[in-house]
Amino acid sequence: MKKLLAAALCAALAVPAAAVPVSADSEELVLFTWESMFPQEVLDGFEEETGIKIIYSNFDTDETMLEKLSMAEGGDYDIVIADDYILESVIQEGLAEKLDTSKLSGFENINPLYQGQFYDPDDAYTVPYGAGIPLIVYDPEMVDIEIKGYNDLWDESLEDSIALTANYRVINGITNLALGKSMNEEDVDSIAETGEKLLELAPNVRLIQDDNTQNSLLNGEASVAFLYTSQVMAALAENPDLEVVYPEEGLGFGIMGMFIPSQAPNKDGAYQFMDYILQPEVAAQCFDYIGYYCTNKAADELVNPDLVVPDSVTSGEIVQNVSAEANDQYNKNWTEFRAACD
Amino acid sequence: MRRRGSSAVWMILPLYLFTLIFVAGPLIYMVALSFSQSADGFGVEWAFTLENYKKILDPVYLQTFAESFQLALTSTAAICLIGYPFGYFMAKLSDGWKKKAMLALMLPFWVNSLIRLYGWIIILQNKGVLNFILKKLGIIEKPLRILYSYPAIVVGMIYVLLPFMILSVYSSAEKLDWSLVEAARDLGASKARAFWTVSFKLTLPGLLSGIILTFIPSMGLFFIADILGGNKIVLVGSLIQEQMTRGNNWPFAAALAVVLMLLTTIMIVLYRRITNVKELEGIG
Repeated sequence: MKKLLAAALCAALAVPAAAVPVSADSEELVLFTWESMFPQEVLDGFEEETGIKIIYSNFDTDETMLEKLSMAEGGDYDIVIADDYILESVIQEGLAEKLDTSKLSGFENINPLYQGQFYDPDDAYTVPYGAGIPLIVYDPEMVDIEIKGYNDLWDESLEDSIALTANYRVINGITNLALGKSMNEEDVDSIAETGEKLLELAPNVRLIQDDNTQNSLLNGEASVAFLYTSQVMAALAENPDLEVVYPEEGLGFGIMGMFIPSQAPNKDGAYQFMDYILQPEVAAQCFDYIGYYCTNKAADELVNPDLVVPDSVTSGEIVQNVSAEANDQYNKNWTEFRAACD
Repeated sequence: MRRRGSSAVWMILPLYLFTLIFVAGPLIYMVALSFSQSADGFGVEWAFTLENYKKILDPVYLQTFAESFQLALTSTAAICLIGYPFGYFMAKLSDGWKKKAMLALMLPFWVNSLIRLYGWIIILQNKGVLNFILKKLGIIEKPLRILYSYPAIVVGMIYVLLPFMILSVYSSAEKLDWSLVEAARDLGASKARAFWTVSFKLTLPGLLSGIILTFIPSMGLFFIADILGGNKIVLVGSLIQEQMTRGNNWPFAAALAVVLMLLTTIMIVLYRRITNVKELEGIG
């Protein structure tokens, strides 16, 4: 009996993850991304317009996506949406289809701010679908100065009043930007300099926290906060009088991109879907729904204005992996900085 | 006889296997990891190095040990001052009140400690309960900025760990033979002297185990410093967590964990040494 039970347990462990839906029929389109990335109206609208049935298949993490896609050798799925850093691996491994932009009438609608990024410098494989941008948000009633960029965070009048998110690379990154360097500076000595600059910020820091950082701004514990996009939106929903700053030194962002796998069963359908999403009205609906920054220039006027980056902002950079030595120094800067905040 | 013996082995075997796989296994893995290198980007490179241990000697990281030690010491001292009298006098209550006090002590444990800590935010924050009361009483004019400060962390530590001290002092005070105290009094000792020479010495093992029960966890309790201290103090626990997750340096995290484990082991050994002294047990 015991043996039976053990055998049953082993068998249960060995059962593979649920099989992936495969579309043999050209009237189906397999969309592979995180949960809740499209409003139902948009998916229904596409089915109505083209008669192609969408099969929504989702993953939890970018890594799972990459694993499944490489197991399928670039097949099984017709459209995939994932994060910037994983797109680099996808393209390097030859799992993405080179886009024929003549099939995408809406390709011109893309905001150039989000193009030409490290993972796809020539925009040959991907179409951006939303961006997350950590930004400075402040309560003008509690702050005496006008905050325009990262450098203003160092202002003496902000003593003990800034709430920061807790990502060491992002905070080191904005300090790099404040010093006019790249967010992904690799030179260890230069990073050490960044650390010294960061230490000077310590007296102004009220708290460092990753979850619900916006609360400290809303309940008056902090008067300035550096927040992730979802937190910026949550803060604005609660208090529309807060001021959002698009730092003049440049943005740090994360981009989600859409691509067609190299062996997609229904490539024509995939192009149709991409083009459908690139239509300004549809794009606006999508960004309103997912609450990320609008990457479609033509949709800027239609979408929630809080999700539009002003024209004055012309540059942005993505945090990328750096060498182990550089990473070490970034970690050290961060630990030193946190200890100095007390 | 033999059959009974062999069946006992089969009963114990799963436990041994469990311990081997889930306790010894990860420990060995952790020690091995602490001698490896972190790869560029993600992952670990299995090449032997002492670099991770050398890195701990960097003043930045050494400081986190000092900081953790200091916080643990401060909170433990405060917990002793509050917890010892509490446990001692609780043991002197009538049976009915003892039960009630015990219930009151256990009640908070029914709620997740994280949620209870969030409760402290509501009390300590700028527009919080404490500032409201102090203002109404006219004690302060401007709200005190207590949240996200060192005292807030100590308050949180005391709050979370106090019951362990109270319970261990209580259990040794409960067993105390009060007739010994009476005998001391009869022989002319003052109240204070009788307490100091009899009661205190007999409850010392309880106090010491209370210290161990509060000091050792407080070396690793980093979420209090996160929630009430706004992450502004770097404790070893939070450093390990950060290196494991965002910092992406598992080998260094493993080395920190090994050192922390050694330090706590030393403390437990010291505790054993001290409590083995028979005099303290009152049976010498």
